[in-house]
Amino acid sequence: MNMVKRPWAWFGFALFFAAIYLFPLYWMYVTSLKSQSEIFASPPTFWPNAPDFGAYPYVWFQRHMPAYLWNSLVIASGVTALTVFFGTGCAYVLARYRSLWVDIGLFTILMLQVLPASVMVTPLFVAFNQLGLLNLPRTAVILGASAKAMPFFVVLTRAAFMSVPRELEEAALVDGNSRLGAFVSIVLPLVRNGVLVCAILTFMTAFGEYIYSKSIIQDADLQPASVGLQAFLGPNSKDWNSIMAYSAIYVTPILAIFVLLQRRIVSGLTSGALK
Amino acid sequence: MRIFRSLTDGIGFDLVLVGAAMAFLLAMAGLPLVYNVLMSFQQVDMFTLGSLVRPWAGLDNYRAVIAQPEFWLVMKNTGLFVVGSIAGQFTLGFALALFFHQKFPGSATIRGLFLVSWVMPGLVVGGIWSFILAGDYGVLNALLQGAGVIHAPVFWKSDPNLSIWAVIIANIWLGLAFNMLLLSVGLAAIPRDIYEAAELDGATAWARFRTITLPMMRSTIGAVLSLGLIGTLQQFDLFPAITEGGPANTSNVSQYWAWQMSFKLYDFARGATISVMMLVLVLVAAVVYVRSTRSEVRG
Repeated sequence: MNMVKRPWAWFGFALFFAAIYLFPLYWMYVTSLKSQSEIFASPPTFWPNAPDFGAYPYVWFQRHMPAYLWNSLVIASGVTALTVFFGTGCAYVLARYRSLWVDIGLFTILMLQVLPASVMVTPLFVAFNQLGLLNLPRTAVILGASAKAMPFFVVLTRAAFMSVPRELEEAALVDGNSRLGAFVSIVLPLVRNGVLVCAILTFMTAFGEYIYSKSIIQDADLQPASVGLQAFLGPNSKDWNSIMAYSAIYVTPILAIFVLLQRRIVSGLTSGALK
Repeated sequence: MRIFRSLTDGIGFDLVLVGAAMAFLLAMAGLPLVYNVLMSFQQVDMFTLGSLVRPWAGLDNYRAVIAQPEFWLVMKNTGLFVVGSIAGQFTLGFALALFFHQKFPGSATIRGLFLVSWVMPGLVVGGIWSFILAGDYGVLNALLQGAGVIHAPVFWKSDPNLSIWAVIIANIWLGLAFNMLLLSVGLAAIPRDIYEAAELDGATAWARFRTITLPMMRSTIGAVLSLGLIGTLQQFDLFPAITEGGPANTSNVSQYWAWQMSFKLYDFARGATISVMMLVLVLVAAVVYVRSTRSEVRG
């Protein structure tokens, strides 16, 4: 019990654990700055001898990153828009009532949440092929990935709606608002932040989407950055500084958003994740 | 007119909101699921790929999949991957959750930093770990050799006995933070005064953990373990990034194998068949998950 009286020792341990845990991220950035020969040095250097940013412009232009990132952006935006559009209202209704039907709805959604993407991709591919949707491959990926993202979004957003007092909505109804009016003008503004955090989480997940894109999008010009990375990543990869520079460009925006919104994201997750 | 009013101001409003989402989910997840089961009983090849009515195959696809020489190897790997990943994620996650449950300056912020692993694209995580685990020049081998744990480099990715563990290590890193977060939520829900009472009665830290923490956390632990099982069976991106299932399928698991069948060998029927087999496992986990959260579902 002596330790409790020394909170700064705990703080030190916490920093130490975090440093170990975040080492892979550090390693990504450091490796991206190393020269081709320094990568294979044994023992490895923990700080580059001569930091060299040359790999960044190299992968940016040689690996066509602007096009890949644009496609990732298109797919992630589409997935987020569809998920928020369909998911928000559903979460609102599931939070508003308590009945057997709500339980059945939640159960269905939880069941759809557990389906692995690798299981769903085979029937989706064959069905999209029959419907001719493979000619619009990014749309097809957006449709499939939205269905994958929506259950989690609904479960998290529902928790945000549960925190809105019923009385506020009832007061609006007594004042002559319609249900639609009360929903748009009273309830939605109150949960705006919660919905926004869930939308950002959806966006970040969709930004890294791989399996649907890899399976459905054949045209290299329409593929997202994850598929572009996989093109030079495998058991026998060698140009690690390029891979790490590519990865760094890819994830740094996500990491920046995460660090900026960390507090909100964590509280949004903790309130809804187990419900 | 009455119908329209009901849509903006009555039960119809609720039905539209739920119905739209449910219709979308059923079209994009429910129907493919049924279609998947259907395909597992059909002959699917390049000629019948575009038609819905295909020759009936009965259980032929299932027999063919089980007769594949790598079937039992893949099943063993899947089991190892699930058990190894969950054991690692859960124990390390629980240890960290208990650690961060102590109140000290910055605990919430530092704990939040761990979650970056959760928002990283799986393929990037796989790429980084692939480099860390490299045999000749990987930093993990260098650190272990420096610490005297091993004397010769370990070829994590290319040694048939270890390749599955390369992916498990990466997956533990990926899932640890989420486990920790959920377990922290469970810990925070236990009233502090129970601990204080136990401490006054002279219970040791271990006794308090065993008699208060574990029983009070039962539903949380059930949910975390079943979510771990679901999440592990969903894990796909690490495989193409680290081992591609190799060498010789020694790190192949059912979810990657199913994908390889469909999209490398274009044998969609077998891909669907393996998926159906996996689905049974996933549904068991889902039932455990829903049961353990049922008390909280109604909020």
